[in-house]
Amino acid sequence: MASSNITLVAGSPGAGKTTWISQFLTDQSQDLFYLCPGMGRDSVDLVRIGYRFPWVSVIPENQAQTVLAGLPRQAQVYLELGFHLDLASPLLATLPCQRVAVLPPSLNQSEWHDWADEVIPGNDIQDAGRDPLPELWRSPLTGQVFDPPSLDELLIELTGGAYGKVMRLKGIFEMPDGRAFHIDFVQGLPGIEYTELNLPRWLQGRPNRFSGLEVVGHHLEQETISKTLLASCLADDVLAQYQHQYQRLHPDEETKEVFSI
Amino acid sequence: MKLAVISCIHGNYEALNAVLSDIDAQKADQIYCLGDLVGYGPYPNAVVEMIRSLDIPTCQGCWDEDIVEGLNACECSYPSQLAETRGRLAHEWTNSVIHPEVREYLATLPMTLKLDNLCFVHGSPSSQHEYLLPSMDGFAALERVLSADADVLFCGHTHVPYVRDLEDAALSVNVQQPDQTESPKQFQVALRQIVNVGSVGEPRHGRPNATYVLYDTDTAQVTLREVPYDYAKTCLAILEQGLPPIFAWRLARGMEFAERADDPTHVCER
Ligand SMILES: [Zn+2]
Ligand SMILES: [Zn+2]
Repeated sequence: MASSNITLVAGSPGAGKTTWISQFLTDQSQDLFYLCPGMGRDSVDLVRIGYRFPWVSVIPENQAQTVLAGLPRQAQVYLELGFHLDLASPLLATLPCQRVAVLPPSLNQSEWHDWADEVIPGNDIQDAGRDPLPELWRSPLTGQVFDPPSLDELLIELTGGAYGKVMRLKGIFEMPDGRAFHIDFVQGLPGIEYTELNLPRWLQGRPNRFSGLEVVGHHLEQETISKTLLASCLADDVLAQYQHQYQRLHPDEETKEVFSI
Repeated sequence: MKLAVISCIHGNYEALNAVLSDIDAQKADQIYCLGDLVGYGPYPNAVVEMIRSLDIPTCQGCWDEDIVEGLNACECSYPSQLAETRGRLAHEWTNSVIHPEVREYLATLPMTLKLDNLCFVHGSPSSQHEYLLPSMDGFAALERVLSADADVLFCGHTHVPYVRDLEDAALSVNVQQPDQTESPKQFQVALRQIVNVGSVGEPRHGRPNATYVLYDTDTAQVTLREVPYDYAKTCLAILEQGLPPIFAWRLARGMEFAERADDPTHVCER
């Protein structure tokens, strides 16, 4: 345990915590662990790290204690702390670790500065502070497949403030051609980032893998967001039509994908 | 003579009032309206009453037709499933509040209006639902103007104003008759114009301001007018009337509520 390296990473939403951690997760020669306490099992970050770096052990919250107690020698552990987590929590205080805060360069003073051993300059965004603490709203969507132009429209409205002030938005969304995308928005940075996930195309009915939306902001109209999300999803018969059409156009890929699922 | 041509008011009474005041200030002699008096906005009956009380010659728009005949929007109208759901909601709401005599009036509106070498339509001469987009193929665009037997074709329906000159079109036709050599024939078509006048009540040009067009029949000069108005009042009325609140958010940004065409090659079959 003593020889393992634990790094706690905290900072304002959208400053780039996950991005900063990701650069250390490419080294497959080490035992790598990633945790994101306070986010349950199905957080977008947790799932995405698992997809991008399959060699990293992604530890769900309920196994954190056990895993941390029995770490292999030389293990590298990255613990990402959500903005809503109390930095003075006893769990964090007892861990022998390196504390890193990823913060907007324009932020010169904060409780993160007092807490961290090292401050990393992240995205140059306005730090909205924690007073009042923003809301975190999550909507797991597993099995839902989106009408792509409806999803685009919804994301433009959401990030444009139609359903409350959105500071941060991330999600994993399923498309009718079987692909899944990671979507990332940070208030103050230009545009909405779409990244295709390296996953087999899901062309047999509703995808049985995690997808979902996470929004951080103020005065979020959660019920309206939920309704609009569902209105953007495809009905069973429409999804079946799309999948059938795709398989007809790409017969080779179909066989390959059926084996890989 | 100075004409003012307006279109696509969509139940937005505030915007219509502001445009009528501007037309007054510009000293136009005659107003023409290209339809879509109702749909989306909170005051369909009041808008129709105003247009009727001023005796403004008006063509039938796609929404006016749908309120008379039942929803018949072309699949090219909706950019997404979400937009289609919203479009249907707006149609049902309008259908439920419209007065019987307003419906009767909308049924009497003609497809096209003519004034000398000018023709007025909502979408295109062949359909209220067809979009004449500025990027439409030049030959197809010219065909629409020629089919209207006009030099200038005024249209709306896309909600984004533009003026398109179809200049010096040379049409070449090869005529092959039995026992004769092929003889190419040339037709020279003089300058024709498509003038899209935009939208009074549901603009889609990225700003909330109403748009319409002034046309001088003596000089053939087209002037595009953009008129600011108190859109917050319309937004409030959208919320009060129980229309989808997202319409208010989109109106304030000059974004389409639901329908939007983006395929210039699509030919509406209705
Ligand atoms: Zn219209
Ligand atoms: Zn129309």
